[in-house]
Amino acid sequence: MSTSPTVHLADAENRDIFDLLESCEKLLTAREVARILSISEKNRLQLRVPQSDTALQDRGERSVPGSGPCQLVKATCLARPQPAGRRAKNSRAAHVVKFARITMAPGLWSDRISSLAETLRSRQMKSGGWAYFDSVQESLEATCLAELALAPERHANSSEAILFLLKSQLSDGGWPAFLGDSEGSWTTALALCTLNSTGDFTAAREKAFRWLYAERGREGHWFWRWKFKTSDRNVRFDPDKYGWPWVTGSASWVIPTAFSIIAIEQFTVCNRSEESEKRIHLGVEMLLDRECVDGGWNLGNSLVYGVPLRPHVEATAIALLALQDEQRIEMVQKSLSWLRQNAASVDSVSSLAWCILTLFVYQESVEPLKNRLATIMGDGREVRNNATLATALLALKCGEMIHPFVVLR
Amino acid sequence: MKLDRRRFLGSSVSVAATVGMTAEWAWPKHSVSYRRPRSAVAVLNADEYSEKIEALLLDGLRLFRLKVLGRSVLLKPNLVEDLPVPVNTSATLVGAAARSFLRLGAARVVIGEGPGHQRDTELVVQAAGLKPHLSERQIEFVDLNRDELRKVKLKANYSGLGELWLPRSVLDADFIVSMPKVKTHHWAGVTLSLKNMFGIVPGMKYGWPKNLLHWSGIHESILDICATVPIHFVIADGITAMEGNGPLQGSARQLGKIVLADDPVAADATCARLMGFNPLRVRHLSEGCHFLGNLREDRIRMLAEGLGAPTRPFSVLPEFRYLFAAKS
Repeated sequence: MSTSPTVHLADAENRDIFDLLESCEKLLTAREVARILSISEKNRLQLRVPQSDTALQDRGERSVPGSGPCQLVKATCLARPQPAGRRAKNSRAAHVVKFARITMAPGLWSDRISSLAETLRSRQMKSGGWAYFDSVQESLEATCLAELALAPERHANSSEAILFLLKSQLSDGGWPAFLGDSEGSWTTALALCTLNSTGDFTAAREKAFRWLYAERGREGHWFWRWKFKTSDRNVRFDPDKYGWPWVTGSASWVIPTAFSIIAIEQFTVCNRSEESEKRIHLGVEMLLDRECVDGGWNLGNSLVYGVPLRPHVEATAIALLALQDEQRIEMVQKSLSWLRQNAASVDSVSSLAWCILTLFVYQESVEPLKNRLATIMGDGREVRNNATLATALLALKCGEMIHPFVVLR
Repeated sequence: MKLDRRRFLGSSVSVAATVGMTAEWAWPKHSVSYRRPRSAVAVLNADEYSEKIEALLLDGLRLFRLKVLGRSVLLKPNLVEDLPVPVNTSATLVGAAARSFLRLGAARVVIGEGPGHQRDTELVVQAAGLKPHLSERQIEFVDLNRDELRKVKLKANYSGLGELWLPRSVLDADFIVSMPKVKTHHWAGVTLSLKNMFGIVPGMKYGWPKNLLHWSGIHESILDICATVPIHFVIADGITAMEGNGPLQGSARQLGKIVLADDPVAADATCARLMGFNPLRVRHLSEGCHFLGNLREDRIRMLAEGLGAPTRPFSVLPEFRYLFAAKS
């Protein structure tokens, strides 16, 4: 093992210096760090390596002593004050990335990543998209998650999946749930998150943002709000607090609301307007209103006919991702605690992967969960659902790359 | 003749009623009818989920002389959530049904479900205990929430939906078997073989739960779906059923029955009677009996043990006490 040097990552243009690799046990090249962070050199981030330290003069990818990927234990991204005269939309260059404590932590999971990525890559369709299963119909959810999982390994902005996404955007700015449908759906939020990760395609993202801004659960209409308040009280919720539906014409539900909040927060991180703030706030309020009695979230209701519903792991994890930027009020802590406790006993790939993705953002230890996920998955060929496979890959790569659902501050 | 307000209103009501009746006659709400002169039902007694079920079920299926030789069979169980109460069709029964259809000569058996209350289908399949049965004899499971979809024009028009995207595995199946868990339902009154077909509506398009169907009317949506995708056979799991605040939060109720039927309306009407309800009080049954199957007892031929002695009626939420009205 090497010593514990401090390496500085700086934006060449602004001389912002960050602590990196404090107490690190593995040394990284500039290219490797850039890859981990999904930040290309075009965005003018450089790793400054003190030349005096011979241990840091490594140049090749993964050629440092010790094998296996390293784990980014803690990473926070902070919005930098807007430099005068620069456009806010160049989001990547406009962010300060601060991170610390990268430690070498190879586990069982580390051996799985490349084979899982290969399996996922082999299932990409000619169109550039992915189907959920072995079919000819591209799914937007599977495509977005697969692209997010594989993007750091290639030039994301010109990938076939991104081109597929751009082509499949509907004229109103939304995305359908699957290719062939002409109606916008909740996957618009996922597609926006995917494009956000490229930092490019501003026009497509702007249209998607406008679509999301206009979309609302059916209780967003005054008539239904009135109906829920006056006559339809079997399901307990505050209809004034509405979020996003799975599909236009239905009520607000937790998962589409959570993804929409994340997508809008990511997109507007440097130019948050009053309208976007209000919409985010309303969505957050809706999530908090629908929280289950003992923490966590079901699909969207907490009480039906006076009986509390049990939380679901996946919905809880995704809702907590959307609340990462909120104060750690008791309601959030309660749900986080519920997720932490239940993650230990989850055996399904998708739910466990979402647990990891969320607990990582909340700086919880995910190493044992990653090892368990890797054990459950084997070589991944048994996981036929490509959205699940991609989510698992994202979970195993937590710490190796910028978390695709992290909200920059 | 002087047209005063009272006469005008009276005339308007008459005209509206006439137009309504004419419209119903001129533009019926369904374009198909699966009703036959008589339907067959067998009620099997089974006290527990054991290995003995398979032999019992196979014998029961043989009573119907089903034409499944060389055909693809889709079993549609009711798999809802991973809950500690009996909400899912028993995996023992589903596995037994799959193996029985293979023994009856089916070329292929697919178990298909699109859970409406849980996005993680794998979690539901695990919780239901179905996995061991899937590794057996290559019985395949299809996640209907994420299957390839085709847009289908609905063959009835109660919901106003007009068309739905439906899974290829369902549309391509030769023989569809609905395998509900016998339960009360806090929106529909009961959830049996017809309501069970909500599970073929894909979550990837309509979400979790399939809320658009609720907004379009639960009974209306059931009628439209079942008119479009006919159920060929029913195996209802009434061994341990659910009463009270079903379909998720009710209480287990030991009924000790498996209901087999070649007609979903006859199956559901029989199950409703076993539950102590009047099937005519269930809206999708009272309407469905005009074109989806037979509800009246004199049109149902009992092949096996019959309803048996009346049991204590299932408990229901106060809103559903009307289900106990006079017998049909």
